[in-house]
Amino acid sequence: MAAETAGSGSALPRPVVAVVRAWQRIFHGPNTIGNSWQFWAGFALAVAALFSYPVLAGGYQASRFALFIVYAFLGLSLSVVWGYAGILSFGQVAFFGVSGYTFGVVALNFDTPFGILGAFAGAVVAGAALSFVLGYFMFYGGVRDVYVTIITLVVTLVLETFMSQTAGDEWTIGAAPLGGFNGMPGIPELAVPVPGLLVQLLGPLGVESAPIVLGAGDGTFYRFALALLVLTYLGLRALVNSDYGRVMVAVREDEDRTRMFGYDVERVKLAVFTFGGALAGLAGVLYAAWGNYVSPGVYALTFASLPVIWVSVGGRKSLLGALVGSIALAFASNSLVGEWAFVIIGALLLVVVLFLPRGFVPAVRDMALFAWRTARRYRSGEPEGSVSENPEAAADAEVTD
Amino acid sequence: MVNGVNLLFQFLDNFAFIVLAAAGLAIIFGIMGVINLAHGEFIMVGAYATTLANIRYGLPLIVAVPVAMFVTALFGLVVERTIISGAAPNWLWKYVRMGLAGGLGRLAALDAVPGRVAGGLEAAAERLPEQPLVEPLYDRLADSMVATWGLSLILVQGVRIWFGNSLDQVGTPVVPFVGETVSPGEIPVLNLIVTNSEFSYSAYRVSLAVIALGVLAVVYVLFTKTDFGMRARATIQDEDTARALGVDTGRTYMATFAIGSALAGLTGALYAPTITMVPDMGTGFLVESFVAVVVGGPSVVLGTTMAGGFLGAISATVTNLMGSTFYGRIALLLTAIVLIRFLPSGISGFVRTIRERRQEAT
Amino acid sequence: MSGDGFSRRQFVTAGGAALVSGLAGCSGGGDGDGTDAGATTDTMSSDGTVTLGVLEDQSGNFALVGSPKHKASLLAIEEINNDGGIMGNQIEYYDPDPQSDNQRYQELTRRMIQQREVDALWAGYSSATREAIRPIIDQNDQLYFYTTQYEGGVCDKNVFAVGPTARQQLGAVLPYLVEEYGPKIYTIAADYNFGQLSADWVKVLADENDAEVVDEEFIPLSNSQFGSTINNIQEADPDFVMSMLVGANHTSFYEQKASSGLEVPIGTSTAMAQGYEHLRLDPPAMANIYAGVNYMEEIPTERNTSDGGFVDRYYEMWPDAPYLNEEAENNYFSIYMYKKAVEQAGTFEQPEVREALESGITYEAPEAPEGESIALDGATHHVDHHMWVMRADDQHNVEALDDQVIEEQFLSNTVGCDLTSEDEETQYTPQDYFEEAG
Repeated sequence: MAAETAGSGSALPRPVVAVVRAWQRIFHGPNTIGNSWQFWAGFALAVAALFSYPVLAGGYQASRFALFIVYAFLGLSLSVVWGYAGILSFGQVAFFGVSGYTFGVVALNFDTPFGILGAFAGAVVAGAALSFVLGYFMFYGGVRDVYVTIITLVVTLVLETFMSQTAGDEWTIGAAPLGGFNGMPGIPELAVPVPGLLVQLLGPLGVESAPIVLGAGDGTFYRFALALLVLTYLGLRALVNSDYGRVMVAVREDEDRTRMFGYDVERVKLAVFTFGGALAGLAGVLYAAWGNYVSPGVYALTFASLPVIWVSVGGRKSLLGALVGSIALAFASNSLVGEWAFVIIGALLLVVVLFLPRGFVPAVRDMALFAWRTARRYRSGEPEGSVSENPEAAADAEVTD
Repeated sequence: MVNGVNLLFQFLDNFAFIVLAAAGLAIIFGIMGVINLAHGEFIMVGAYATTLANIRYGLPLIVAVPVAMFVTALFGLVVERTIISGAAPNWLWKYVRMGLAGGLGRLAALDAVPGRVAGGLEAAAERLPEQPLVEPLYDRLADSMVATWGLSLILVQGVRIWFGNSLDQVGTPVVPFVGETVSPGEIPVLNLIVTNSEFSYSAYRVSLAVIALGVLAVVYVLFTKTDFGMRARATIQDEDTARALGVDTGRTYMATFAIGSALAGLTGALYAPTITMVPDMGTGFLVESFVAVVVGGPSVVLGTTMAGGFLGAISATVTNLMGSTFYGRIALLLTAIVLIRFLPSGISGFVRTIRERRQEAT
Repeated sequence: MSGDGFSRRQFVTAGGAALVSGLAGCSGGGDGDGTDAGATTDTMSSDGTVTLGVLEDQSGNFALVGSPKHKASLLAIEEINNDGGIMGNQIEYYDPDPQSDNQRYQELTRRMIQQREVDALWAGYSSATREAIRPIIDQNDQLYFYTTQYEGGVCDKNVFAVGPTARQQLGAVLPYLVEEYGPKIYTIAADYNFGQLSADWVKVLADENDAEVVDEEFIPLSNSQFGSTINNIQEADPDFVMSMLVGANHTSFYEQKASSGLEVPIGTSTAMAQGYEHLRLDPPAMANIYAGVNYMEEIPTERNTSDGGFVDRYYEMWPDAPYLNEEAENNYFSIYMYKKAVEQAGTFEQPEVREALESGITYEAPEAPEGESIALDGATHHVDHHMWVMRADDQHNVEALDDQVIEEQFLSNTVGCDLTSEDEETQYTPQDYFEEAG
């Protein structure tokens, strides 16, 4: 990438080159897929297409797709924690659910736009807090590998068993009944209050003081979630390609060696786990606002294993893999109907694990590279094995597995 | 109110359930490092096999149970060969590859094919992947979880499609293992009168506790007194050295998985008269078995026994004290968390550490 | 991995996997709505066609009880169509399978309302499902029939809960058992909303019948081992047990109780009528079980068991069906009630049909004996059901012991829910009863 821009550098103004170089520095690296201008072009195209989806397909399809976008956050949270720091957690849905319930409780009690904003923030904090406590309990207690997985799973199940029996009236927090097994319906939608100043300034242009309600049925929620997802993805890309990202990967690869180099491994794991919990919590808030409903079903074993499956199939060591895997699999299992649906999904899982253990997205990317190179070689008649003018070669040189 | 006799029988009940649910899984996880999320479905296979053998083919329960074990072991063998070790796909690919390479080569040699295309075909033939195509799942925890989860989806839905939403139930046997329909007065129970209340306990369920102990004993003998057991333990300890010494690890794994599956089938067969026959009945065993295996630690027999004993005792005591199974279940789950946190290698790992320390001290 | 980052092996395997995934996407993609009875692409329903949405579990956890609901709905629709339809219009229906998944229910409900624009919707087995979709129903003011027996108390202008409530079911069987066996009651119930609220109703009814609940036990839905429960019952030594156990795991209780020699009579609102345990389990598991229900396949009314009656017609259309359960009849008669309401209103427009329903519709349902009918109570949107006490004996033969009409009392008498005068969207619980009743 650097070569290309440098080669045509004389044609581009200095500020643009500086911006491009900064972009590469922040967003490119061996820990993510897609380190070429072709990737970013495709990415921009995809995002543009997704943004216009509600107009093209209608409000109903947009609301349906919005759920998959919410799931993408959940998948990303697991990818950060598992793919990049090596902590296989079945507990992401625990933070997801706790945040969803917290949002519901607070929003039902303070049903104003500012109240809902507060609920949003409070719920994410709640998810992060739970993950902090659990992470501290586990990592500073020396729990590792499969035992971490089991503890997170058991915590999720405890929540399921407990929340399922909160049906009685004594389980009502203010105006919000926890609802037990039946769940908590009537959760308000996200609403963005419009500041008075803005109304004063832009009133003549039609800006009212009424809050912007992000409804699921008309595409506004979809767009909001999509925008948030793009920002989150970019932010995570920056994170994993930074120095801290390298420390995370080091922890994943070999904890003891990293510790010997002087890094506080427990602290890294706790920080990453808490961050993952906050991300899962964000997903939970969006979920509760999307369906206006949350129930203990989010703590069930079946739902808890879904993020693991999405991310495994998509490619856990790649953010793009987790993102695409979550959306694609959720979309597939949602679209497949009939009795053979689950059989097909099960078969898909088997095929991917057996033949594409690194995940779908890395395999597709490798296939694309392979095709690109073969085509180039065919055209220019070069011998096999040369790595000429390969847009991914430079970044690929350090690809870890 | 804590009633001693009740507590004892409930403990035996829980102990039997946990041990029988976990035994097969412990063997597979302990030796092969594979997490079988389809373990519940293996149990379901055993239960369904028993029920069908009894209801459709009229086999008495005492025959149906071994038949079910055999069926489940066979099924486990197929799973092991295709998914866990990948041996079957690899074997298949060997011949497919030969055929493909040969075919492409012959195609390229035809006169009718232009030179450039022939060159491409030959290059393609060369570029066909080598064996092995599929890596085994041993010690790949996350991957084995996803693969077996996919398997469990297929199994549950497949059974639903083939056999419908439920099967008719097998009746609880009159005398253990000979099943016939009876009137209430003829069912064998242990009648006991404790503190002025008359309690009765199902003789069948009590016998399950005895069977659970028997299973543990058999597994112990299997692992310590037989050739297979020695090879298996060698493989657990150090696979490469074992292989260097001539142990056919592939075969050992195959046999291990079959035995683990047979045990799961036994559990299903034994519980078939007491649980509803629906395709997802396996999920009721999954959590207890996993928790017990992890809490138990690396030693199969010792770990499963202690986990079953400890967790069963906690669950029974809390249920008895609070009068509700809800608290018992929560207590079991919380105990598991605490145990894993403070005994990171499980109970048997802890025991082993103590033993080693004591040996060092002497 | 080398800088090449790719091996030939992966190319082939990736291609193969892509092929499988492509097939997966192709085979199920798109709407996949299942059978559309001649549905046109035209989704407007105001031009002379009537569209109904039927969302019942045909697979998944609740398929056992949801499948008869689905089948009976289709039976009613076919009968009406063969008879000339509603006001001359043939009924078109959409019946995609929600697969016992609440998220799917939410999505399909949105689809039915926004895409298919159904004139009326029948959806859901469990209360959790109803609560998951009620926000969507209320946002869109969609006419909705909830046909499963449930804990009662829903006072919502869009919801017609036509299944029997816990108070009606328990009110049928509990007084009978008190008279038959005595006043000491032990309650066992599933540990979630329906079970807990039903247990509260047992207490209310015990009070009204000079009986006493000596103890209650709540069992988590995932629990399938009942040793301690059986011991507790034996220790309490009640005259009879009231059982509100739910789900496949809880069915194990009956088998285990029988094998423990526990013979106490059991009254229930959930067993036998929904999941036909008396056919699936070996005798004598269900011996001496008394079910308080508005309908079971075995109830001895002419409309039900005579030649060409409800049972015959059902099995003629669905010869492989295993059973005709309680909820199925609720789906069946509510579709006919809808037809009557439309004819009374003279239009398919939902507000007018709702008004017609609230004016008090009656129908000669299979649950009512010859010459009688059941009535939809307009103010509460519930049905005054004809309730039966059905008992299974040692050989699992089922006979009817008692029957009566039990009106909906809680919402109308105690809480004062009157949807004809005031729009509401709430669910009341027995707690409100205790507060009102003092």
